[in-house]
Amino acid sequence: MKPEVGRVLEVCATSLMLDVAPHVAPPYRQSSVFASAMLLTCIREELDRIASRRVEENRALCAMFADAAPGIEDASLRERLARAGTEDDEDLRISVLEARNAALRELLIELQAYVEEQDSAEARRVEAAIWRELAASTARRKLGLNAF
Amino acid sequence: MPRVSDLAARFADYARERMPGASEVRVEDLERIFGGASRETWRLRLCYRDASGRAEERRLILRRDPIGSLIETDRRIEFLAYRAFHRSAVPVPEALWLEEDPRWLEQPFFVMEELAGLESRPQMLLAPPYAEHCEKLGVQKWTILGEIAKADPEALGLTEAMDVVSPDTAWRRELDHWEGVLDEDEVCPQPIIRAAIRWLRRNPPPPAQRISVVHADYRTGNFLFDTEGRIRAILDWEMAHLGDPLEDLAWSINRIWCWARDERRGALLPKERVVRIWEESSGLCADARALHWWELFSCVKGQGIWVSSAREYESGKNQDPVLALAAWMQMNAQDRAALELMGHLA
Repeated sequence: MKPEVGRVLEVCATSLMLDVAPHVAPPYRQSSVFASAMLLTCIREELDRIASRRVEENRALCAMFADAAPGIEDASLRERLARAGTEDDEDLRISVLEARNAALRELLIELQAYVEEQDSAEARRVEAAIWRELAASTARRKLGLNAF
Repeated sequence: MPRVSDLAARFADYARERMPGASEVRVEDLERIFGGASRETWRLRLCYRDASGRAEERRLILRRDPIGSLIETDRRIEFLAYRAFHRSAVPVPEALWLEEDPRWLEQPFFVMEELAGLESRPQMLLAPPYAEHCEKLGVQKWTILGEIAKADPEALGLTEAMDVVSPDTAWRRELDHWEGVLDEDEVCPQPIIRAAIRWLRRNPPPPAQRISVVHADYRTGNFLFDTEGRIRAILDWEMAHLGDPLEDLAWSINRIWCWARDERRGALLPKERVVRIWEESSGLCADARALHWWELFSCVKGQGIWVSSAREYESGKNQDPVLALAAWMQMNAQDRAALELMGHLA
């Protein structure tokens, strides 16, 4: 699409903030216009990475599950991790990627809770890998507007 | 929601009922202002003649329950907290009327005086004329919090309105509550916060040194300040409860309130200085292990609020853009804050 979608969002956000909001009353409505402009700014930032960060994260989780599965004693969890570890994103629609990401993160919660209870070097290794991935997941989602 | 003109007329009817000696009661300049997403906040001038016939005018704030909000809270408790601290070392506006009967304005509401011409927005602290007063504001902010911590809830009359909790169970009650909020409102899995909850349960804090009034949303943005760097009022008491005073201290230094993008908590002072000021004012000790527990708890509570705002927006109950913005901006920041406290932020 031309003009490029991100550029259009940027122009709309700037216009709302500088041209529209100052002329809006009462103050509550003005605040809402500002908030809407900031939302557009966030969307503009997210747009470019919207599919890639989900695919990247889903692949990272699958690789971690494949790596962890052989060391898991619980048969049900081991089987589900192994199965998830072999899958890949074939449908790149955002709604599908998002649903798969949610399912993988639910499995991640289960894996993390499980290894926390295990007293072994292998459990600590998997736990450390999980924390590295969780830190990476927040870096993928970080927005420029965030104060922290 | 009634039109503004209807709301003005209906509030004038209500004011006539509350002020039987007054005549010519009318509402002027009614307008909605931004006052947080947990209540609709309206500003107005109430004009009338008193019993002697003298013309009077009061600038008032009307806080009305919305259909959906960031947090589910009790307006009676908020009203009573304002009442309890009025004319104390904790500056608050005067709370005037609490009305729980929906026949007047369709939803419950309360009324307090307006403190006009003051600022509350955190971003205003980043530039003149407020930026030069950050240290002064910080000293006041955490001195006042110490005053809240050492206030006697029973003497303030708040033990009848707020659930009493014991020093050794205050942490569990709060954690249970906010985990319940996450269970109910979670819009997507929260592995970091779920890990934090498990850690908090495995490593409970020491019992509270005392049971205090906890404001529960004590942060930059929830107090009014002037151009001279004076804090004039502490606002937004809707989540107030009895509990461990470290809960407030920890929430006030939550990383997500580092608006200036530096180490200053609430864009005002570094954490170490904050703790010293609070300890001196409250006469209490901020034990490092206990404070760490409450700081991590603050991340759970914060995420509870942000996922609830996302849930409200998605459900269509309340599509104030502030709810979506709060969720987008803060959910990731809150996760990063939790990672930092657990030693895992890259």
